[in-house]
Amino acid sequence: MTKLIKYCFLIFVCLIEAKPFESTYEPLPSENILIKNANIYDGEGNEFQATDLLIQNRKIVAIGKDLPAGSEFLIIDASGKWVTPGIIDIHSHMGVYPAPGVSTSSDGNEATSPVTADVWAEHSIWVQDPQYALALKGGVTAFHILPGSANLIGGRGVTVKNLQRNTINSMKFPDAPHSLKMACGENPKRVYGNRQQAPSTRMGNAAGYRKSWIKAEAYLSRLNEYEAKSDEAKEMGYKPQRDLEMETLAGVLRGEILVHNHCYRAEEMATMINIANEFNYKITAFHHGVEAYKIADLLAENNICGALWADWWGFKHEAYDMVQANIAIVDQALGGKGCAIVHSDDAIGIQHLNQEASKALAAGLRAGFDISKARAMNWITSNPAKAAGIYDKTGSLKVGKNADVVIWSKNPFSVYALVEQVFIDGATAYDRESNFQPASDFDVGIISPEKNRIEE
Amino acid sequence: MISQSKKVLVIFIILFNATINSESILIKNVTIYDGKNNNPFVGNVLLDGNKISRVSTSNLRGDKVIDATGKILTPGIISTDSEIGIVEIGALSVTRDDSSDIYEIGFSIYDAFNPNSVLIPWNRSNGITSTITLPQNTNSPIGGLGSFFVLDSNLEITGIKDNVMIGRVGGSGGESRAETFSIMEDLLEFASSIDSKDMESYRNLSDLIVDSPIAETMELHPRDLKALHRLINDDLPLIMKANRASDILKLIEIKEKYDLNLIIMGAQEAGLVANKIAESDVPLIINPINNIPGSFDELAANIELASNLETFGITLMFNAPRSHNYHLIRQGAGVAVANGMSYEGALKAITLSPVEIFKLGKRGQIAQGNIADLIIWDADPLEPSSMPEKVFINGKDIDLTTRMSRLTDRYTKEKDKPNGYRN
Repeated sequence: MTKLIKYCFLIFVCLIEAKPFESTYEPLPSENILIKNANIYDGEGNEFQATDLLIQNRKIVAIGKDLPAGSEFLIIDASGKWVTPGIIDIHSHMGVYPAPGVSTSSDGNEATSPVTADVWAEHSIWVQDPQYALALKGGVTAFHILPGSANLIGGRGVTVKNLQRNTINSMKFPDAPHSLKMACGENPKRVYGNRQQAPSTRMGNAAGYRKSWIKAEAYLSRLNEYEAKSDEAKEMGYKPQRDLEMETLAGVLRGEILVHNHCYRAEEMATMINIANEFNYKITAFHHGVEAYKIADLLAENNICGALWADWWGFKHEAYDMVQANIAIVDQALGGKGCAIVHSDDAIGIQHLNQEASKALAAGLRAGFDISKARAMNWITSNPAKAAGIYDKTGSLKVGKNADVVIWSKNPFSVYALVEQVFIDGATAYDRESNFQPASDFDVGIISPEKNRIEE
Repeated sequence: MISQSKKVLVIFIILFNATINSESILIKNVTIYDGKNNNPFVGNVLLDGNKISRVSTSNLRGDKVIDATGKILTPGIISTDSEIGIVEIGALSVTRDDSSDIYEIGFSIYDAFNPNSVLIPWNRSNGITSTITLPQNTNSPIGGLGSFFVLDSNLEITGIKDNVMIGRVGGSGGESRAETFSIMEDLLEFASSIDSKDMESYRNLSDLIVDSPIAETMELHPRDLKALHRLINDDLPLIMKANRASDILKLIEIKEKYDLNLIIMGAQEAGLVANKIAESDVPLIINPINNIPGSFDELAANIELASNLETFGITLMFNAPRSHNYHLIRQGAGVAVANGMSYEGALKAITLSPVEIFKLGKRGQIAQGNIADLIIWDADPLEPSSMPEKVFINGKDIDLTTRMSRLTDRYTKEKDKPNGYRN
């Protein structure tokens, strides 16, 4: 940081802007580990029986039979157990809607204007939310926190490591891209329509997004114009004034910020694809998408993931046409080119994403699809990693990736499987047997002073 | 002439139905979890009419034989806390019949029940065969009457009207919970003072209300008084939603004082007062998958709650938070087992226990003479990936088609046709 300031000072015109809010994440202390004789789903669609996994310097260095390891390696016998990549949830509101659910910490929806591209979910996060530790016991090593869906454009989301810390920056997943939450349908039109303001209809919703993108295009062209100037010209001219809302939208148009779009109905998802084409941006994933199965091929053609529940429905009219095979149909679109994600949107669901995937898989098999468990594991590991823009670092047990690893007592597609150990960047974050688990400051002494909240 | 042939047809249908109904069904060689002991054994179950006529390990004969070798048979699963039949779409008030502006304590949802609700075939095809459906909580700490419904989709409802009262105590953001307890006790005190003879006369009841400060403050109606009277005199089950340990203890005290048939629902902090709950023999309805400290009343929420309470011998029943997928109590029960509860106990919590606590008739257990609400499962019913292969309600083999299975077929078959022209 000091170097950067000096550099800026020396050349007078500072070309590199200091980035605020950057990740300061530091992993827990780790060892080199050999997990022996495990049954493995690698998150790339493969299953290996009785296979070893080698972790060195926080990375996955080998996966194979009878791997040799030096005496400095911690050896874990995982015979009869299962190993998967760390589970990733692409749709969480932990931290912004923490527990207890009290009004003073209800910070997920800036429902004061239908377009709030300027707000960042990370600035709402309560780091002492006791729910992170519960998700960790469900094998979740990273999750994507989004603003709520009251607004057409709700603000930036953030991807974090599931390691509770005292600042948000120290939980942020290093180099993960920002995301933008957008929302279709009933929520924005209800919230603002009830106040006799736009949008009060779905056509009002569509107009709202388009107006925003028109402004963003104009802003971006001013910015591009300025940035194309020579250094001298820049010094002479005016730099366009910073605009938080436009910076976010321009980030989307530049492909730097990933769009995560809450949308239930098939025709609305298709409309959003039209809008994305009109303004030349990409939608990374539709979230909730209860009707995604009706346009599964369209999603696959446009390389858009469906981040979906296994079975939620009926709480709203736009969530009425649920089929449990939704995830499987999205996955199998265009002969298996679809991108399906099981998401939670729920602090209980995030603890059992393996069970949610199991239900979705079972429904897919009943609907006649031929899908392996190993492939279904991608729905809660590599596919959400891709949608969060962190697939190069985590989401599967590929050599060279971060050692985010879960050891399960049984096959994770069974309700009886418990998480035994979780490693984040090769470091033990949870160990069931030794009762090594985090407790947030909230948990400390809150029921009886000498104990933590859920201490046995 | 036409009417003649119609008559013949009608008679024919009646006869035809009668033959079907009298045809006995033998479920053969099935692994039986009876709902009570749940020590599995391989046996044969004979259904005759709406009843289980025999359960035996020896060979039986039936008109129709279903070979269920390798499959599991359980009683139908019973919901204790749903909105099934009275709420179609949560966010659409025009489809909600779960609250009243005028009545509080005596508000009954029975007449609002819609046997054609889409929730019924869906939950049924996932193993729920009957439900206790509850209204929303009212402003009164106790009040609102739930009813029991058999999920057979007949427009002629089979069930038990107003068989349970609900109530709620806890942090509310409004008045102190101490006020809630005081109102509750005043209402019970008032109800205890009413002579049963007065129950017959609308006029007398109206007079009693005018004379009672609490009844007048609460703007009670005669039907509210009748419901209160049943609580005191007829052992009407009272489901109180409460979570905090201290609230649970206070409710037990009130139960003892007024000899109430108390059931506590939620009970997230029950583990802290488990011995008292056991001593007072209060059954609990818990959601075993909910370990979220969702409010300051639920700080002790713990994934091992069910397992912990079981060791105290407390009668447990399970609920699920969303009626559209109430069948997910199977997943909750599975999670309870994964975290230490016995499999037998978890299965009983969703079959026989609700029947025993709420007196739901001869169901919930696979035994001779009981009503034949039965499920043949394709695999372990506590695995959420499992599904019923057959569902029998009142002995009838139920068609498991749902709106969801129809929509699935629409988008996986005949894809060459525009969707509007598919099946």
